[in-house]
Amino acid sequence: MWWHRKEDKSGEEEMTVKIRFFARFRELLGTDIMTDVAAGTMFTSLITSIAKKNPEGYAAIFDKNGAFYEFVILMRNGKRIDIADADRTVIVDGDEIAVFPPVAGG
Amino acid sequence: MFSERELERYRRQTMLFGEDGQERLKKAHIFIAGAGGLGSPVSIYLAVAGVGTITIVDMDVVDQTNLNRQILHYERDIGRKKTASAEEKLREQNPDIIINAVDVKIDESNAKNLVGKADGIVDAMDNFPTRYLLNDVAIAQQIPFFHGGIRGFYGQATTIIPGTTPCLKCIFPKAPPREEFPVVGVTAGIIGTVQSNEVIKYLTGSGDLLTNRLFIWDGMQSHAEEICVERNPSCEACGGTGKKTKAGKKK
Repeated sequence: MWWHRKEDKSGEEEMTVKIRFFARFRELLGTDIMTDVAAGTMFTSLITSIAKKNPEGYAAIFDKNGAFYEFVILMRNGKRIDIADADRTVIVDGDEIAVFPPVAGG
Repeated sequence: MFSERELERYRRQTMLFGEDGQERLKKAHIFIAGAGGLGSPVSIYLAVAGVGTITIVDMDVVDQTNLNRQILHYERDIGRKKTASAEEKLREQNPDIIINAVDVKIDESNAKNLVGKADGIVDAMDNFPTRYLLNDVAIAQQIPFFHGGIRGFYGQATTIIPGTTPCLKCIFPKAPPREEFPVVGVTAGIIGTVQSNEVIKYLTGSGDLLTNRLFIWDGMQSHAEEICVERNPSCEACGGTGKKTKAGKKK
């Protein structure tokens, strides 16, 4: 495996995950972002913290109450995560997260 | 049976799938929803491939702002119905097929009748509510639905086979907001030709279809990838079974 568990100086377990954004989200936030997260981090809080690096990117994904827009597609390791479950979905070491909008034009 | 002209016209592709395959194209009826950015390459490539009957539906008039991508329509067509423009071009592209161009807005009251006995629906729409309607019709009729969507330099496509694959609503349960979307013509060209390619493969029984996979095109990086998509057991349209649910049932 390319990832490995490691411990930071405080002894708490850290994990490495990969976040992939698509389409407009990618333009605003980049993609293939490798990031270390603390054990117990939830899906929503992970994406919130990454998206906040660009206010426009955050505003494209989250509404003014900080909830995912209902059309946003969330996936973890190729499996769909319901928006309703994202708050209580724990990120695990090595997860590959995908966040994308349907593109609607024709 | 094919005329000499048809045999010559299709010679370079009957080398691939034989006259049998060409016969299947000729006998097929494909419904193209939209004569805009996606509908242009889709209809042109299906016409020249020899799909025997093409129904193309659009409610709009050609506008100057369409011309960067809607390659069925020319400067001289501005102000003209897209269906009239499309019919004229497609007949010139291939006089040996039947073109039905229907000038109407696809809505809940007419979607099923418009599709009629077509063998497949190509999604060349610019909005999700109409896509969902066509998805319902595809499920009810148990015919394939060839989805495509574009924005800017990005696009997506997938082939939906009711009863076998996730439906459009399994993959995209909620519509994104409507907008005047930015787009370059090449994105419509890339995704539209992927859709046409799927139709030709489906009808001729060639290759592997883009089923259970969402093709994602990133034109900024010139990078294509795909993600696996699955049925949603609680899907409003198909209940994850690919068959009509009561909630998704049409009038």
